Amino acid sequence: MRSASKAELEMPEELAIRIEDLSIKYKINVDTKRTLKNAVMRASKGEKVRMRVVEAVKHLTLDVPHGSVLGIVGANGAGKSTLMRAIAGILPPTEGRITVNGKISTLLALGVGFNPALSGRDNIILGGLASGMTRNEIEEKTEEIADFAALPDGFIDMPVRTYSSGMYGRVAFSVAVNMTPDILLLDEALSAGDASFKEKSFNRMRELCAEARTIVIVSHALQTVNDLCDTAIWMNKGTMLAKGKPEAIVDQYLKFLDVGALPSAFEDM
Amino acid sequence: MPTPRENFAPRIQVFAPHKASLPPLGPYLREFWRRRAFAIELSRFADKAEYLDSKLGKVWLVMNPLLLAMVYFLLVTVIRGSASKTSGLSTLAHILIELFTFYFASNCINGGALSITAGGRLILNQAFPRALLPLSSTISAFWQFLPTIPVYIFVVIIGKVFFPHTEIPGLGFNYLWAPFIILCVGMTGFGLALIFATMNVYFRDTNKLLSYMTRIWLYSSPVLWRPEILHGWQKIFLYVNPLGPTLSATSSVWISGKSPTLYELLGCLFWAIFAILIGGYFFVSRERDFAVRI
Repeated sequence: MRSASKAELEMPEELAIRIEDLSIKYKINVDTKRTLKNAVMRASKGEKVRMRVVEAVKHLTLDVPHGSVLGIVGANGAGKSTLMRAIAGILPPTEGRITVNGKISTLLALGVGFNPALSGRDNIILGGLASGMTRNEIEEKTEEIADFAALPDGFIDMPVRTYSSGMYGRVAFSVAVNMTPDILLLDEALSAGDASFKEKSFNRMRELCAEARTIVIVSHALQTVNDLCDTAIWMNKGTMLAKGKPEAIVDQYLKFLDVGALPSAFEDM
Repeated sequence: MPTPRENFAPRIQVFAPHKASLPPLGPYLREFWRRRAFAIELSRFADKAEYLDSKLGKVWLVMNPLLLAMVYFLLVTVIRGSASKTSGLSTLAHILIELFTFYFASNCINGGALSITAGGRLILNQAFPRALLPLSSTISAFWQFLPTIPVYIFVVIIGKVFFPHTEIPGLGFNYLWAPFIILCVGMTGFGLALIFATMNVYFRDTNKLLSYMTRIWLYSSPVLWRPEILHGWQKIFLYVNPLGPTLSATSSVWISGKSPTLYELLGCLFWAIFAILIGGYFFVSRERDFAVRI
């Protein structure tokens, strides 16, 4: 992460995210066990480490305006999560550039590093600090976040290990959406909770959009993409194949998958 | 309805490939400093989580090195033969304070080495300077070390009541050096934690190796033996050891009742700065890889 130079600040005001010719490649170790012992054994035999280069995102260019909801669809391994992590500044680009205007809140891997021995309230504080809020800011928001998660009585002060997976997901989601982010990145995070919580989540996201905040959603639940997003992109093997209205993109994607409009493709899994 | 410009505290961030292996250090260090509260709270909460169900948990943090010191004291006095009561107390005091100090450094390193692999989900979900995780382990190690000082003072006071002619000094200005030495131990421990945390991402058995290394390091450091037994060229062994000068300075302050020598002070400072620079370079130049390798 770095602060922008004057030249870089020339990003148009209406844009929240600008992605320019972005490529992300990384090397992965093919060996199953990455240990010093194996490394020494390999070196003694004169064997080289077997590495594979993964091209997760290839030459992607995209602008996301403030106040919009962008949906990203694509099969497994399409590069969606890698792209989200790059926008969040977690993975560095190999080529190209990402410019982000605003405070980012993420929910990219369910759990967000919650400590299961700590209470939900403690994890809310820790989650807020991890996302860059100050202690005072997070303390002011704790009640609001706890209320939004709507856990059964007393659960917010119980260890997270006693939570059901739905309760766990609700707290994680509440932390992410209540950080007053300018840009909210959600990767498969909308399946948390029951129908009532889902409706509440959707409403909260609509509120965020009304406040001109930006949301990027990765989801295999295509109905969610249709309902929430005003633009969608379809990614396949690291390349953006199409961009447009969600319904049109979802149709193209389903034709590509050759599954038709199966109910399972539209539901949260 | 609020307009975008009203709502946003404009904060433009640019993510681009780094030309050199290091990210731009200015913004990195500023962000590191801005988020220091996260490291402090993470350490506090990790501590809370670890000892939540154990009322004696924190007592064991002190009891463990204390009992170990007793065992080492018995071994040293048995091997060395019968010591007088006054030098016996001095030996016990030396082993205590050195073992507590050594444990502070080794806890920084052992906790720090696991901090990145243990914080995998946090790393995959949030962008923050990763060095905050080993820093949090160093802070935890410091909070664990702090109660050992009153324990040491208590043991020495009791010892002095029973053996008033013991060689251990009373109050003096030499103790003003103690915070500096503790800071140097913390910095050295943090620097080495950065190295082993990085290694542990690439080689997951690093922490196993570390447990053997720590034991060898303990025996080769002036914990069970007094630094004064080294003379002339032998002192090289003291100064090539990252904890050698700090442990020797600790002995000077707490046992000999003197200020540390200039060589000891320079040695402390050298290893503290060197460990931070080398560890920092090794860690920060590779931390972009962590999200891929975890």
